[in-house]
Amino acid sequence: MAIDMSQFYQVFFDESAEHLAAMEGLLLDLDIENPDPEQLNAIFRAAHSIKGSAGTFGFTDLAETTHILENLLDRIRKQELGLRAEMVDAFLESGDLLRDMLEAHQGRGEVDGAAVEAICARLRQLSTDAQIAAPAAEGNTPLPAVAPKPEVRVFDIQFVPTEVSAKGEGVKNLLAELRSLGELEILSQPDEGVHNVGYWQLRLRGDCGQEAFADQIDFVADNGAWRVLESRQISESEDGAFGFFDDSPGAPEEDAAYGFFAPLDAPVEQNPPAANTQDDGYGFFEPLPVAESSNDVAVSAEEGDGYGFFEPLPATPSEPPVVAEEGDGFGFFAPLPEVVSSPSSPADAPVEQIVEPAAPVAVVAPEKPVAEPRARAAKAASASGAGGDSSIRVSVEKVDQLINLVGELVITQAMLLQTAAQMQENAPDRLVNGLAQLERNTRDLQESVMSIRMLPISFVFSRFPRVVRDLSGKLGKQVELKTSGETTELDKGLIERIADPLTHLIRNSLDHGIELPEKRIAAGKSPVGTITLKAYHQGGNIVIEVGDDGGGLPRNKILAKARERGLQVSDQMTDQEVFNLIFEAGFSTAEQVTDVSGRGVGMDVVRRNIQSMGGRVEIDSMLGVGTRMTVRLPLTLAILDGMSIAVGDQTYILPLSYVIESFQPQTGDIKTLSNQARVIQVRGEYLPVVALHEVFNIKPRAGDFTQGIMVVIDADGIKAALYVDALVGQHQVVIKSLEANYRRVQGISGATIMGDGHVALILDVSAIAGMAKSNVQKAG
Amino acid sequence: MEAMTQSGNAAGEEDLVASEYLTFTLGGEEYAIDILKVQEIRGYEPPTLIANAPAFIKGVINLRGTIVPIVDLRIKFNLGKIEYTPFTVVIILNVAGRVIGAVVDSVSDVISLTRAQIRPAPDFSATFDTKYILGLATVDSRMMIVTDIERLMTSADMELIDSAAA
Repeated sequence: MAIDMSQFYQVFFDESAEHLAAMEGLLLDLDIENPDPEQLNAIFRAAHSIKGSAGTFGFTDLAETTHILENLLDRIRKQELGLRAEMVDAFLESGDLLRDMLEAHQGRGEVDGAAVEAICARLRQLSTDAQIAAPAAEGNTPLPAVAPKPEVRVFDIQFVPTEVSAKGEGVKNLLAELRSLGELEILSQPDEGVHNVGYWQLRLRGDCGQEAFADQIDFVADNGAWRVLESRQISESEDGAFGFFDDSPGAPEEDAAYGFFAPLDAPVEQNPPAANTQDDGYGFFEPLPVAESSNDVAVSAEEGDGYGFFEPLPATPSEPPVVAEEGDGFGFFAPLPEVVSSPSSPADAPVEQIVEPAAPVAVVAPEKPVAEPRARAAKAASASGAGGDSSIRVSVEKVDQLINLVGELVITQAMLLQTAAQMQENAPDRLVNGLAQLERNTRDLQESVMSIRMLPISFVFSRFPRVVRDLSGKLGKQVELKTSGETTELDKGLIERIADPLTHLIRNSLDHGIELPEKRIAAGKSPVGTITLKAYHQGGNIVIEVGDDGGGLPRNKILAKARERGLQVSDQMTDQEVFNLIFEAGFSTAEQVTDVSGRGVGMDVVRRNIQSMGGRVEIDSMLGVGTRMTVRLPLTLAILDGMSIAVGDQTYILPLSYVIESFQPQTGDIKTLSNQARVIQVRGEYLPVVALHEVFNIKPRAGDFTQGIMVVIDADGIKAALYVDALVGQHQVVIKSLEANYRRVQGISGATIMGDGHVALILDVSAIAGMAKSNVQKAG
Repeated sequence: MEAMTQSGNAAGEEDLVASEYLTFTLGGEEYAIDILKVQEIRGYEPPTLIANAPAFIKGVINLRGTIVPIVDLRIKFNLGKIEYTPFTVVIILNVAGRVIGAVVDSVSDVISLTRAQIRPAPDFSATFDTKYILGLATVDSRMMIVTDIERLMTSADMELIDSAAA
């Protein structure tokens, strides 16, 4: 029974992306001078998890790269190496590449092969460099073999290559590599006919330590099915007997534990019936002498992170994804601690234990005759249990479907309520009370369902430390990023779409806002600039502020530039209006076009993106003090606060966020321009009048303007007075797409269903304000 | 040779396989459409107007939470008396992944037609656009116009879809 692994791919992708994000976050937090071992461990674990699952799912490129990454991390973690800034850079870069690879596997984008090679080489070099730098005699490591000694040493190398590397170049490369290290003798090798698949035995004479080649072997070998014995040293022949295995950086100690099961395909296919696996299980013990003593495993068990042992075990994917997500392989161990609990009989234990009808665990368990795993297994089990309870992975479609259904429910409930209201006194009390309760319940239900889609904004914010770090390095600026309000929750749809505009605003602040350190000192500021990123709720909106304490926006320069570009500007314009000019397409005051910004594309895109989310962006700036961009977004894309207005016999919804005020016009308030466009004076400002019945070709209820209502709207700086017959009320409406079954309609942004079951169209205020503007321009 | 006979047989069988068609009237004419494209039939309710839409697009209705445009085929084809009574019916169609409602005079029947029964329509050249007509069928001396409703509804003429490629 072969398991179709592809059904777990998405889980793997999601999980790996999460691990990568976690790794990046941790790396950025890391104090290079004095790294916190906990953090290092967490980074290592993240890399290790990716490697483990990538290996299981057969994404070898990912597994290989993470493997190298992990080696270096491991050495740092064990304090064999000091952490250096360039290492963090390399880690971050390889994190990016891994992300690219993940994307590529999902069919998006391509991987730059050369870059991967380069980063692998860099990581390898960092890890070997360090070998020289690392203290030769690490006092706390009682492993004589580690210390590089100049004398000629002889290693007996045994391994079983994976099928892939045996048939490919893997083995050949390994042999070439080994030859470069010293004199290589092939003691035994599998027949040519089977393409190098099988048991290899080599002898290497050289003056290098085994760490020089151990990781290459580990690479080629099938899941840790390898070992190196330092058989004879010319100078000191006896003490090489111990020290194999746990001293090599490349030997993932965890792997060593189950390494004997060379061709691991068997468990994949035959899992879970343990009976079948047992026989396969023993077969692989043969090449390995009994010398696999339990204390090797003990050492590794202490160092490894519990789950490490079992992780690449192919049985993992057969677990439900929820378990796989949290616990990787170790979940199985929980029910069977007794299997692993016989420290006294390391060598012959496997036989006896395997016979026990002990389910799949038997395959792995016998090789861990140490008490250690027991505790870990218990811990792991509880961890996975807790993880399973605290969150589940649900596809967004399911959530959206739920939200839609609840939307329906809200509408039905409103209909019922309206019907009851029409019955007036005739409605029985019990019905009225029941309906009131239904209303409360639906509202609560709607709120909780909506909250499923809500994510903390830290999902977006967490990427910015990296952006700031990279960019400030590139620009030679010193910048500190301060964030607050990361827990503010925002609709998932918005989270995804706000990331790009925010990144742009931050890059902009960095490039144009924050000055170079010298300039800052000259201006009497601290050389380190600050960018503040703040998120909070205000009314029904989410407000995100991007502030900097840089040079501020030069009003005169912007005005000059605007004149140069032929825009209509005057010195009387308010600061706000002047600053808004930077959102015009193609507008840039940067003297120099850098690869960061200055091309003038961007700010207009930022504004457009934010507007398309139903939000707006404002700028405050003071020359020499700083700039603050404020982005206001609605809480969610699915629900809108609207004002319902009547025009003729139709009802429309006007998004409340655009409404400034409304009033009843008096006779003579409305003036005409060239007898075409109408304007009305509101608080000293002449606003174009848009008569909605004219725009939509509807017969109005009221004959002249004094019988209707003027609603002043402000769509991104364009103000207009919208003439409607009447204001009906204020509602929260569920936005429905008109385009799903119809097409786009000029002046309409969507539709919703009213309490009486009728459809009401939602006005596209920006488009309507635009119509007003063009009317006036035509007339003027 | 063998392959040819086989395909000949297959075609012959296909000719005999009957598909079900929903028939409706527009004025004095009877139309038949593939019943698999029909989602449901419901009474007419006044829709919400869409500004500046062509006259045959009556507006949109709320069909259990979905916004569905309503097309009056009588106006579109200039047939029958345009009046809306409690007996006016709307055929809710499911075409090209969209839900569209079509107002017709009345729904008559569900009939089975084999391929062989559907005869090609004569070419009316320029006077009448036959590209949405699959053919003509006669059942009990009634002539029915078998229409490719999906093609009709997604066509640029209907102005129902933004980029009417079909």
